[in-house]
Amino acid sequence: MPALIEARDLTKRYGAHVALDRASFTVEAGRIVGLIGPNGAGKTSALRAILGLTAYEGQLRVLGREPFRKRSELMHDACFIADVAVLPGWLRVDRAIDFVAGVHPRFRRDRAAALLAKTQITGKRRMRELSKGMKTQVHLALTMAIDAKLLVLDEPTLGLDILARSAFYDALVNDYMDETRTILITTHQVEEIENLLTDVLFIDKGRIVLDSSLEDIATRYAAVAVAADRIDAARAEGPFYERRMLGKVVLYYEHPNLAKLAGLGEVHVPSIADLFVAKLSGGAE
Amino acid sequence: MNTAIWLIRREFWENRAIWMIPAVIGAIMTLAALFGRIDLMSMPSQMPSRAVGEAFLVAVGATFFAIMSIYSTWYLLDCLYADRKDRSVLFWKSMPISDTTTVLAKLVTALLVIPVVYFAAADLATLLMAFIISVRASSSIGGSVWHFDLWLQMQVLWIYLIMTAAIWYLPVAGYLLVVSAWAKRAVMLWSILPPLALILAERWFFATHVIFNELANRLLSLPRVAFHTDLGDKFWGPSVVDNGVIRTPASLWSLLDAYGFFSSPETWAGAGVGITLIVCAVQLRTRRTEI
Repeated sequence: MPALIEARDLTKRYGAHVALDRASFTVEAGRIVGLIGPNGAGKTSALRAILGLTAYEGQLRVLGREPFRKRSELMHDACFIADVAVLPGWLRVDRAIDFVAGVHPRFRRDRAAALLAKTQITGKRRMRELSKGMKTQVHLALTMAIDAKLLVLDEPTLGLDILARSAFYDALVNDYMDETRTILITTHQVEEIENLLTDVLFIDKGRIVLDSSLEDIATRYAAVAVAADRIDAARAEGPFYERRMLGKVVLYYEHPNLAKLAGLGEVHVPSIADLFVAKLSGGAE
Repeated sequence: MNTAIWLIRREFWENRAIWMIPAVIGAIMTLAALFGRIDLMSMPSQMPSRAVGEAFLVAVGATFFAIMSIYSTWYLLDCLYADRKDRSVLFWKSMPISDTTTVLAKLVTALLVIPVVYFAAADLATLLMAFIISVRASSSIGGSVWHFDLWLQMQVLWIYLIMTAAIWYLPVAGYLLVVSAWAKRAVMLWSILPPLALILAERWFFATHVIFNELANRLLSLPRVAFHTDLGDKFWGPSVVDNGVIRTPASLWSLLDAYGFFSSPETWAGAGVGITLIVCAVQLRTRRTEI
């Protein structure tokens, strides 16, 4: 079975600015992939290309289709929240449900109603009367009620408080996710989604700098915290990044010699957030 | 088909003015009939009852049609731009609906749905007014607003006008949709500037007025192309004084020139330009999601 998303040399230019620079990656079915990068790294350009919202150069196949030319077909099997607060202000909540139920063959009205029943939102209210967080909840309810093979979320919880955010991610993993679905998600709060991701894509300056499953990260990367007197020995092992923390130095290694590192200090698998900082700062040196 | 109906329903939710403006016009007219001075409507006594009836029906219809033309123009200019301005285009594009379907739904709303709403409102307003006038006024004027055959003719006139206008104004609608899908701001200004610049440039460099004449012709010549212009005066005012004798056309139908309209190369050349512009608008809608 071919990959769900297959990008080869995906490039997007805005005039002289190159937002995506020959990015190549694949996303397999049944995974939860985090697309992680700093502002202006090309995350949004990549998502927009995958969703058929923008033209691009290079090769891209999503669910076997060319997204830009076949967007409306693609949207039978894919759904997305590409930005917060994009539901139009004049639209009433109940009519939003009516509309999607009317035009989307895979929309399950009962599920949308059940999701909304957990909130304070009533059907007769217009989007402009709702707070940013409520608008997000309506949009999430509409989107998660679609039986799609691919769900793309760009900063889905922006504007939600901590309780609503954690409720959302719980619902995403427990109620929504199953082996037939694939989720591609971007967020600034990497820590928040770290334990639900199966794969990560790091993107920087329009290029993919890491494309890996979390299992592979655990075997491929290591960090060791060493005392100042052992730093030269630790540096001899070829770290790609180091930083000072509470009087110790944490060094990051790719393909580490674990036996040697264990003698220098406490070895651990870096968190996604730490690895992200290490990888992007290290790459700059 | 089902999708198209939902898209048109959505236009009614978004643009409540589609039905509110004709409702308000109808209400004003009804109030005028209720409280206005009806004796002002008593025309020269030798004017036949049918002519009064015709004048009444045409005046109400023309008012609705004129306001509808202005509103439809604004609607076309705003419809694609509004989706980008409030960024809801990102929601609409997450639905399995092609950009062609979306743009065509908006075009059909402007050229057929809105006119039909105004047509219905005009009928309703005329009925209410006729009823009020015939109750309030003296028998002669009161009777003159109830000519069943004239009412029937008015229905056919409306349908004919909606159909011919939809085809004739296709290039205008296409142009407005292109501006609406393209402009980053000030759609109104952007709709006026390019033709104005072309007219001025032509005048400056060639001292000719071809573009101006073509545009003016497109905007103003529907009556000439779709109706018998030798009876033109009777269209605008259903009676003319001819050697002191008041004549009225035998029927409003005699004004319609369907053969002339559908066989005119102007009609189909314009439609061709219109379709080209609509294709451009669809392309812009596909490519432009940002304001």
